[in-house]
This record gives sequence, C-alpha cells and structure tokens, in this order.
Amino acid sequence: MDAFDLPDVAWTPVSPRLVTARRLALLLPALVPLVALVVLGVVLGGWWWWAGAAAWAAWGAWLWGLQARQVRAVGYAEREDDLLLRKGIVFRTLVVVPYGRMQYVDVSAGPLDRWLGIATVQLHTASAGSDASIPGLVPEEAARLRDRLARRGESRLAGL
Amino acid sequence: MTSPQAGAEAEPGQEQEPGREPEQVQEQAGAGPAGEAPWRRLHPVTPVLRSWRVLVVLLVLYGQQRGTDAVTGGGADVPGHLELLIALGVLAGAVVVSVAVSALAWRMTRYQVDAEAVRLHTGVLFRQQRSARLDRLQAVDVVQPLLARLLGFAELRLEVAGGSGSDVRLAYLREADAQRLRNALLARSAGLSFEGEDAPEAVDRTVLEVPLPRLLGSLALSGGTIALAVFLVALAVAAVLADAQVLLLGAGPAVLGVAAGLWTSFTRSASWRVAVAGDGLRLRHGLLETRTQTVPPGRVQAVRLSQPLLWRRAGWWKLQVNVAGYGGASPSTGGDSSLLVPVATRSEAEEVLALVLPALLDPLRDPLPDPLPDPAQPDAGAAFRRDVERGLDGVGEDGGWLTAPRRARRLDPVAWRRHGVLVTEHALLVRRGRLGRQLDVVPHERTQSLGLVQGPLQRRLGLATLAAHSTPGPVSPTAAHLDAQVAASLLQEQAARARRARAAAGPERWMESPRTPPTEAGPAPHAEPGEG
Repeated sequence: MDAFDLPDVAWTPVSPRLVTARRLALLLPALVPLVALVVLGVVLGGWWWWAGAAAWAAWGAWLWGLQARQVRAVGYAEREDDLLLRKGIVFRTLVVVPYGRMQYVDVSAGPLDRWLGIATVQLHTASAGSDASIPGLVPEEAARLRDRLARRGESRLAGL
Repeated sequence: MTSPQAGAEAEPGQEQEPGREPEQVQEQAGAGPAGEAPWRRLHPVTPVLRSWRVLVVLLVLYGQQRGTDAVTGGGADVPGHLELLIALGVLAGAVVVSVAVSALAWRMTRYQVDAEAVRLHTGVLFRQQRSARLDRLQAVDVVQPLLARLLGFAELRLEVAGGSGSDVRLAYLREADAQRLRNALLARSAGLSFEGEDAPEAVDRTVLEVPLPRLLGSLALSGGTIALAVFLVALAVAAVLADAQVLLLGAGPAVLGVAAGLWTSFTRSASWRVAVAGDGLRLRHGLLETRTQTVPPGRVQAVRLSQPLLWRRAGWWKLQVNVAGYGGASPSTGGDSSLLVPVATRSEAEEVLALVLPALLDPLRDPLPDPLPDPAQPDAGAAFRRDVERGLDGVGEDGGWLTAPRRARRLDPVAWRRHGVLVTEHALLVRRGRLGRQLDVVPHERTQSLGLVQGPLQRRLGLATLAAHSTPGPVSPTAAHLDAQVAASLLQEQAARARRARAAAGPERWMESPRTPPTEAGPAPHAEPGEG
C-alpha cells in the first residue's frame, strides 16, 4: 500500500485545464532554444546541431507528458479540522494544514490561468514551511474553497 | 489605566491631517476624546543617537580608503592639511544633514499606548501608521547600543508575529521609561489591570549565567575557529613547500573575517544571563550593546538543543528557540534574537528547557484536560527528563523512540540509528545527528502544520521524511527516513493530537487562564472583561 494514500481520505483532483496551462507555460521557453538550434543547423550545417535539437525536443516531449501525470498527482481533501494536500510524482509531498492555524488565504490567477478559467488557492499559516497552494481550481471552486476555509479558520481560530 | 474599548480602535481625528503642528500632539495637549491615551514623542536626543552611526561609517570608509591608498601607494602616507580640512568638512556636513533628517523624522514620530494596542506613527514623506495589538505581543526587547547605554537611553522593540520588519521600534527612550513601558506592556498583554501608568515590575530570578571561560572555550571550539586553524596550517605548509611566503598574506582576509565573526559572537553573548519573571523569560546579554529580551510564557514555539562535535567532551549545548517575530531578524539587523543560551552544560540546558516549556513538566500547568493529572504519578517531570536524555545522545529505539528502519542506512549510513521521533504527552521530540547532535522539541499545541516528503530513493526503500512546521526561526524539526507507513500514520495521529492540545491551550492573555497558578513573582491575576 502506498503511504501517501491515507485511509479514509477522498482526494479531490484539480482541473485538467491545469495541464494545458502548464504546457503552454512550458512551450515558450522550450521553443526558443529549439528554433535557435534548428536555425544554426540549417545555416552552419553539421549533425551536432540537429542532435542537440533532437535531444532538446525529446526532453521537451518528456516534460510535456509529465505535466499530465503531475497534475493528476495533485489532490486535496477537506476534512473536519484540517486540509490535506498532496503533490508530486518523483518528489512527493503531503501537507496537513489545520484550519485553526490558517492566517490568511490567497486566491490568484495569472493571465493564462484566467484565459483557461483556473485559479490557485494558497493557505498561509504562521510557518514558512507549510507550502499549501492548490493550483488548477475552477474559479467557482476556488471562491467556494476560499470562503469555506476562511469560515472554518474563523470558527477554529487559535492564536499562534 | 483603562480606556474605553470603543475608542481604542478608532484613529484620532487629527492624525489624518498631514499636520505640521507637532506641538499640538505634545503630551496630553492634543489628546483626542476624553479618556484617550496620550500621544507621546520619543526622547529628543534620538536624532543625535541615530546620527552617531553615520559618523562611524564615514570614518571607517575614510580609514579604509586611506589604508588602501597607503598600500597601493596612491596617496601620501600622512594626510595633508588640505585633505584633513576637506575630510572634516565632509564629515561635519554629513553629520549636520543626518541630524537634520533625523530631527525631522523625530518630529513626525509619535506613539500611543492604551489597553489594547501600541500605535506608532512615523514617516516624513511616506507616512506609516502601525498598530500592534497587545494580546498578540510575542516578545519585548530593550536594546541599548553602546552610546545610548553610556548616556542612559534605550530602544524598545515590540515583536509581533508578522514576519520580518513587523516589529514596533521605539528608539530612543530614557532607560527608566523604556523599562516602565516594557513592564506596562507585558502586564497589559498578560491581561492584568493595574492602577495608573506604572505596572509593578515583575521580580526576576536568575536561573543561569554563562561563565566567561566557558563562553571563550565554546567560541574556540566552534566550527569557524577550527576551519580557520585548518586553513592556516594548510596555507603554512603550502608556503613552506612552495617556498613562497607571499602565500601567507592571503590568510589576512580569512583571519579578519573569522575574527570579526568571533568578536561579534563574543560581544553579543558576553555576560549572558537567563532569568524567569512573572511576565516571562528574561534574557540579558551583551558586552557593548546590551539587550534584554522578555519572552512571555507560551510564546516559545519550538526549542532546539544542539551540540557541535567538538563540544561533546565538555558536554556543552546550545539552545535556540522559535519565537514568532524573531524569525525575520538577521544578524545584520540586530543579531540573532533566537539564541536562548549560547553555551550551557547539560543540566543547565535541561533546566532551561523545562522553564521555556513549563507545560511539559508541571502537571499543574497541563494544557490538556484529559487525562487529568494523575496524583499517583509523583513526578511528571522525571519521565520527560528521561525522554530528553535519550533525545540528547540516545541511539536506537530505547525509550520508545521511533527511529529510521535498518534499510535507511543505505541513505544515511552514519546517523540512521540516531534519526528519530518521540511523541510524548505534550510535545514532539525530534533528534538527529551522529557527529553534531540536535534535539528539537515542539509542544503539540504549537505545531503549525505537518508535512511528509518522499524522494525517489526514499520511495524505493519505502521511507519518508516527516516535518513539523513551526514559525520562522532556527528550529525546523524534520525526522528523516522513517518508514513511510509509520510516518503517514504518525502524521495523522500528530494532526489529531495537535488539534486536541490546541483546543485546550491557554488564552493569549496568559494571566487570564484560570488554570495557571499564580507565580510568586507576578502580581495577583485579575481578569479583565476582554474578548473571548
């Protein structure tokens, strides 16, 4: 059994639109060197340029495919008193954030995110270590989560 | 004094105006509605004390420039009259400008203290109005840089848990005023009410004083010194072998750097004194710049005891704490406030640990209502002390420690048997390090959040690293390479335990707690009709 699949926890996945967002964000920085390598290959000749371009393209393709798996690995679960959040495939993390420890909640969305209709909800505690951001939420869900977290945090408020 | 709560949060009317009539706010003259606490100014000597630094910086810069010139032969060895005149002129001009700017800033700075909060208004061009709630006060420091100390002035720093730069600094006040204000703030923060302006000072009891020889010894055995010694020996050998004495010149910057670091540590840690008072833990230290830190009970989030390899023979330990608000402080902005004791013997370390986290030892101050303190169990502290003993230098699973399984030796062949966690009734203990040892103690009700991390190698071996997240500071308890399943269930249990402990934890105004027994030093607790 996988230790990161806690018993009695129903994980909520995030929107698959996050895959598109991450792939698009990947595209530009990946394409510029690729084009440069191809142009150099055409202009200067020599197989190594093409080899470099191929390697770069392969790397990009792998990352492209990885995004889908990574997004599938993101999940959160609202429990009675805390929020669970898990992430990652190769380096996996699982965070438990008690509602009573929440200091504030951020909802953010970049231009690409807005275009695709997703947002990120981030919980902040008094600790810098608790990195609890949930990417790829549809705006309604993000707003609902934000309000719900804020309400729960209020009702379970403890100082520090 | 008690001011009406309704008026406490409202800003006084005249503060909205970019008023240039400072006399109006002088003392009570400009006080707002009746009963409002007066707005006060810092002491008029402030601009002079602040400008002192400018003078020093300029002198040092000039000295450096002269020194470089002398070495490179760029200038005369002895400064000429003209140069001296120009230098003096520049210096005087800079000081005058600096004093003038500071004086302007001083005119625009005022503060107000009432039962709820401290408010500080600053800024000439960019105005800032800061209000710090007293029930959120994390620590109060009285800092006296050398010159201020000689003249009898002090800076008061109020730490609130807002990250770096969130503290309220009142510089400078008369030393006696600073002390009085500190006492009043701590008493109000504790939820005590008292007559008039002055709170009675809580009598403190010295627990520990670090002797000078031990401090010097600990510095001599610190990593920096050893590294320097090794470097120097290597350099000397190289110089002899290569027959190039020039190489030795290269040691200069390194020696200077390490010496400066040691000197800073020494002046900061000299005459270190730990005391307990009714209003919290007091730390007093410093050779040139003295600092008195007061950390109220329950504000310590986590404690780390650590021992570098070379201190093992002497049995010394260093204690550091996480206090919200201290976390952002870097050495450049006023030193590492998170240091609890620079060097302590083992028994002292245990004693201080018990003082900092009294709930761990004293069944009377038990923050957990159930199970109720067992009268049949005579000394709750003994069990905890035993756990700490094992945490300090124990190896393996003796005493109920949960350690990394045997297969973890492939990831950490040296320390795998030492990595471990122990969950006691009140706290999470995490130990690590075979050569340099560390023990972190986090009370359950202070856990912020919990995390589990697994890298690819750990995954192959079925291991995971458990981390308890605390407020920013030197203590970051992580237990590496535990069995993944065990770590996951520990994560769940610990989350539940932290929740229970939090629900039972005392109030922010610690003196209002009905369970807290009155300390011999503090005044009798008197509950204020406060918020819930």
